[in-house]
Amino acid sequence: MEVIEISPEPTDERYGKRPEERTIEEKAKFAIINLDKPPGITSRESAAIAKKALSALGIKKIGYSGTLE
Amino acid sequence: MHLHKEVEENKIREVFSQFEGKIIQKPPVRSHVKRVERERTVYKLEILEIKGREVLFKADVQSGTYIRKLISDIGEKLGVGAHMQELRRTRVANITEDKNLVTLEEIEDAIYFYLEKHNGKFLNYLLMNPEDIITFLPRVWIKDSAVNSICLGAKLAFGGIAKTNKFEKDSWVMITSLKDEFVALGKALVSFDEMMQLRKGFVIKTDRVFMLPNTYPRYK
Repeated sequence: MEVIEISPEPTDERYGKRPEERTIEEKAKFAIINLDKPPGITSRESAAIAKKALSALGIKKIGYSGTLE
Repeated sequence: MHLHKEVEENKIREVFSQFEGKIIQKPPVRSHVKRVERERTVYKLEILEIKGREVLFKADVQSGTYIRKLISDIGEKLGVGAHMQELRRTRVANITEDKNLVTLEEIEDAIYFYLEKHNGKFLNYLLMNPEDIITFLPRVWIKDSAVNSICLGAKLAFGGIAKTNKFEKDSWVMITSLKDEFVALGKALVSFDEMMQLRKGFVIKTDRVFMLPNTYPRYK
């Protein structure tokens, strides 16, 4: 997509962080996983298994998107 | 797709091509949406393999298209009946099977490697940043001074915009910092062209905020 400059200005490096510089803990606060769900279990069950594993990192919430029918 | 009787290959191919384009579907009995007939677009149907009564095909469809229903309708049109045997999603938006796809076991292994072996390589690979996924929405990059008000739910004014993609009125836009961080999702109150004529006033209504307040300083 084309980018149009409106009022260009620099950003203050003291605040925020570029996505590629995030630590794993920072990434884990809001990340997306492309899960290869095995057949035979529901998306909900898969999310529960993933949540159990990821809770070791302090991840409390997990969800999934897009049901397939 | 499992056909209930064998059908000549030419016939299968012919009927498949009839189901490309706009189709009408009624959601199945066991569905979460209102059961009224609705139109969906089948962008492409590609038969990969036909072996006796089994047909393996790839379907590129509009969201909300029921594949199980599509298969039973194709079966009916073929005059023999058919049902869905197996279904796999190979793509949604820009997320494909080759984009950091992982199994549940691989997630567990990646966590083990990170916590026990202090190797974050695998975990880092499977946790994808939202900025890399939401590439299908136009972006509006905002000045540092505008970030905190957006985090608190304020509307975005023209003065807070540093650069932008073009967008239509009422469309979803991704509000992004100048460090390319995902700040919020919003809806355009005006189109890009209208904004460029007015050059003032509110442009985006903030809808969902993802960045925590006070990541950036309060505007003085």
